[in-house]
Amino acid sequence: MANLHDSRDIETSTTAVATEAAPDSKTRRYDRQLRLWAASGQNALESSRILVISGSATSTSILKNLVLPGIGHFTILDPQKVTPEDAGNNFFLEGPSSIGKSRAEEAVRLLGELNDDVEGKADVRSLEDVLVNDREWLSEFTIVIAHNLAAGPLDQLATLLWEDLSYPPLVVVRSAGFLAEFYIQYHEHTVIESHPETAQSLQIDKPFPALLKYSTTLDFANMDVTDHSHVPYVIILVRLLDEWKKSHNGSPPSTYDEKKEFKQTIRDMRKKDDEENFEEAEAQAYRTWTTTSVPSEIRELFKDPQVLSLTPTSPPFFHLVHALKRFTEEHASHTLPLTSTLPDMKANTESYIHLQKLYKTRAEEEKAIFKSFLQVPISDDTIDSFVKNSHALKLLRGKKWGALDADPAALAAAIDTAPKQLAIHLALSALSSFTAKHQLGSPLAPTEEALTSEAQALLPPGTELPEEFGDAVGEIVRAPTADLPNTAALLGGVVAQEVIKMITKQYIPINGSCVIDLIETWTGIL
Amino acid sequence: MASQSNGASDWPGRYYHIDQVLNTPGPRTDPEFLAGDGVKDFLRNKAKILVIGAGGLGCEILANLALTGFKDIHVIDMDTIDISNLNRQFLFRQKDVGKPKATVAAEFIMQRVPGVKVTPYFGKIQDKDDDYYMQFNLVICGLDSVEARRWMNATLVNLVDPENPESLKPMIDGGTEGFKGQARVILPTVTSCYECSLDMLNKPTAFPICTIANTPRLPEHCIEWASVLEWPRVQGDKKMDTDDPEHIGWLYKVAAARASEFNIEGVTWSLTQGVVKNIIPAIASTNAIIAAACCNEAFKIATSSAAYLNNYFMLIGTDGVYSYTFEHEKRDDCPVCGGESLDMVISPNMTVEQLIETLVEKQDIQIKKPSLSTSTKQIYLQAPPQLEESTRPNLEKKVSELVPSGGEVTVTASTLPFSLSLSIKYS
Repeated sequence: MANLHDSRDIETSTTAVATEAAPDSKTRRYDRQLRLWAASGQNALESSRILVISGSATSTSILKNLVLPGIGHFTILDPQKVTPEDAGNNFFLEGPSSIGKSRAEEAVRLLGELNDDVEGKADVRSLEDVLVNDREWLSEFTIVIAHNLAAGPLDQLATLLWEDLSYPPLVVVRSAGFLAEFYIQYHEHTVIESHPETAQSLQIDKPFPALLKYSTTLDFANMDVTDHSHVPYVIILVRLLDEWKKSHNGSPPSTYDEKKEFKQTIRDMRKKDDEENFEEAEAQAYRTWTTTSVPSEIRELFKDPQVLSLTPTSPPFFHLVHALKRFTEEHASHTLPLTSTLPDMKANTESYIHLQKLYKTRAEEEKAIFKSFLQVPISDDTIDSFVKNSHALKLLRGKKWGALDADPAALAAAIDTAPKQLAIHLALSALSSFTAKHQLGSPLAPTEEALTSEAQALLPPGTELPEEFGDAVGEIVRAPTADLPNTAALLGGVVAQEVIKMITKQYIPINGSCVIDLIETWTGIL
Repeated sequence: MASQSNGASDWPGRYYHIDQVLNTPGPRTDPEFLAGDGVKDFLRNKAKILVIGAGGLGCEILANLALTGFKDIHVIDMDTIDISNLNRQFLFRQKDVGKPKATVAAEFIMQRVPGVKVTPYFGKIQDKDDDYYMQFNLVICGLDSVEARRWMNATLVNLVDPENPESLKPMIDGGTEGFKGQARVILPTVTSCYECSLDMLNKPTAFPICTIANTPRLPEHCIEWASVLEWPRVQGDKKMDTDDPEHIGWLYKVAAARASEFNIEGVTWSLTQGVVKNIIPAIASTNAIIAAACCNEAFKIATSSAAYLNNYFMLIGTDGVYSYTFEHEKRDDCPVCGGESLDMVISPNMTVEQLIETLVEKQDIQIKKPSLSTSTKQIYLQAPPQLEESTRPNLEKKVSELVPSGGEVTVTASTLPFSLSLSIKYS
């Protein structure tokens, strides 16, 4: 068997017969998720180290959904002993027999059973202790997740992780009863493999020379009927557009009548009524008058300060974007590099494979040009993936946890733009401020009045709380310390999902606060 | 009182979290909610809940129900545990591979959550009759099959007796695919039912047989060729088992050889398996979200502690967390809950065979192997063999020769416990 890493020519790679053995047990175990994030995503997960602060029901629910897909390591930081209350709502405690034992140790033991390949560790220090005596330790983790932490230590933690770039992102999770919210604190998050639903343009409006030549010289007239009905629609459109432009000063069809007329030229070209490739060409005719250009979001990326002031030490993503910018400026098509992926279309094998080869060859050439604009060495795999996804790149810039509550004007603006979401956010923030002033030892029993005044204090003087605040605060007063199993399980899923997206750098994580109402059953972003 | 005194397994503080929402109403709670011991007693001592499926959603559902205080839970699943389940079906371990899901899941829950009784049934939902389904207060479905959902939905709609309020069993249905999923509440005959929303399903990818046989272009075409055409040709009557690695290996080799012959790239073991088993990607996190949403609705319905979902929650997690909650409308011409017949305008030249094809493909009908009859005659019956044979000549006849304009045609299928009535008109 040839070395898989060699770049084999098309001939060898396509004539290689089945040589793959049945998948190993690890691949079989992870099969259903590998279909979503492939080996690259899985490797990223397996190298990750997650810290979860507190062993609450919500915390263990989040961890369950990270241990199952196979993160590398997790630590639970929790000095508490299991209470009878904990034993009632946490699936990763063994009922009454766990009571009195270390909550972190019990949870780590039971979570560990889910996946032998994951390393779990219980750390019974308090967060306060770590913040004072061992802050460096926090930089060992890929991401830190904190559930229902007291306001003081949470702010200290968030500030520490934010201010020094060597520290990881922080996920802040808050919940009470049927209401919840979570936030991911990161400076910057870049995504190449965003898994877009839309495909890249086939650039039919700007055919590359080999495609144009092939399409315009193909002898349609003398083709037999069977072959004629198997010419891929791409070729039909390129040819007809070329003819159209010759008689229209080089312009594609633009008015309604012209578009209708162009479609008629497609129908006129048929040799019989039911040629499916011509039906497809008609359905896809819009591709001839839709100009392929650089998507506006990608154009915005080109103006990013990190791209404009590129240095040799800039992250690879920005080097790639910089090279992409140059490609779109200097390459004749003035658009993104050509895709090598051809969708399926009515055609016989020979003509389809031929067209596919034309696209692949051209895509390789454009990739080589793109590569020549790169100023630092970057692996071929990354370049391939970048070029393939160049229409759907994503750059997210985040804010420090608490930035919203420290900005009365932004809160006031959200009263109009997202009142429902804001109501729940404010109610949870109010609970947090109230709890911070609460005396330990006595039961936590906030009143609506107390929470309303805490929330009011965050807004600019004289601003009215959103109408929906009453419903939200009423729920908080009803269940201020309830970590309900269903709320915990739902947060467990949605937080783990975002963490997986952060770690794998695939798909797009939230930017902002995700608010959850489990009474009317909705989620929203603030 | 009742909730304090029941079961030796309850310990003080056990329901500290849950009781916060059961002791007091919230601002959006129905005024009829009776906070306190009555509702706890119902939840913990009286409610009987049925879970359909002990797979990706089922495992999560069982754990959530047990923790929220349901004590009498039944679960049905016909599958056994496969290694590819272990990345998400968290009640199962490597040592459980090959055992029935329902049984292993039930045992795990009972061992982990004291005082909960989970009764498993390793078998099909169709094995059970109306009396069986009548005993439950609620049904939660965590299924991966459209057919099974349609069967369950129709069964629960048929169960409704207007004279007997107890016969209306809320059905909560969850489903996931990759990072996407949905949860919905169906009150049979009152709200939109599963059948009402059939047209929301994605059309399954189907490759035309002539492409597979003559003009393959994609690796998938080569794989379909191997499984649909070559397997029966070479292996004869031997049944293909898509869980058997040797069978997959054979298909993979045959597909790869064909791909190589046609210069098509991309046939892999994983793709072969994906195509022949119609594998849908599945992860723990999405299942957790959807199962939690379902169980939360079950909890709210069982306790009235808060309003429940009206009636559809859809989640897309690929780009941020996007969700959409809306009321799906009931369809008057729904064959299960609508009562009105479905108008169908066809060409006077359409043959019975063509009508059958239409029924199979039409997005809001999707009936595999339909049998057709009118009130006076049988048009075409798929079974038993004698009747199939005697009605077969009708396949080539025009529908208009057999049914007058405005006439009613009744469509049935063995997989579905209901019939569809079509009102035929000619264009």
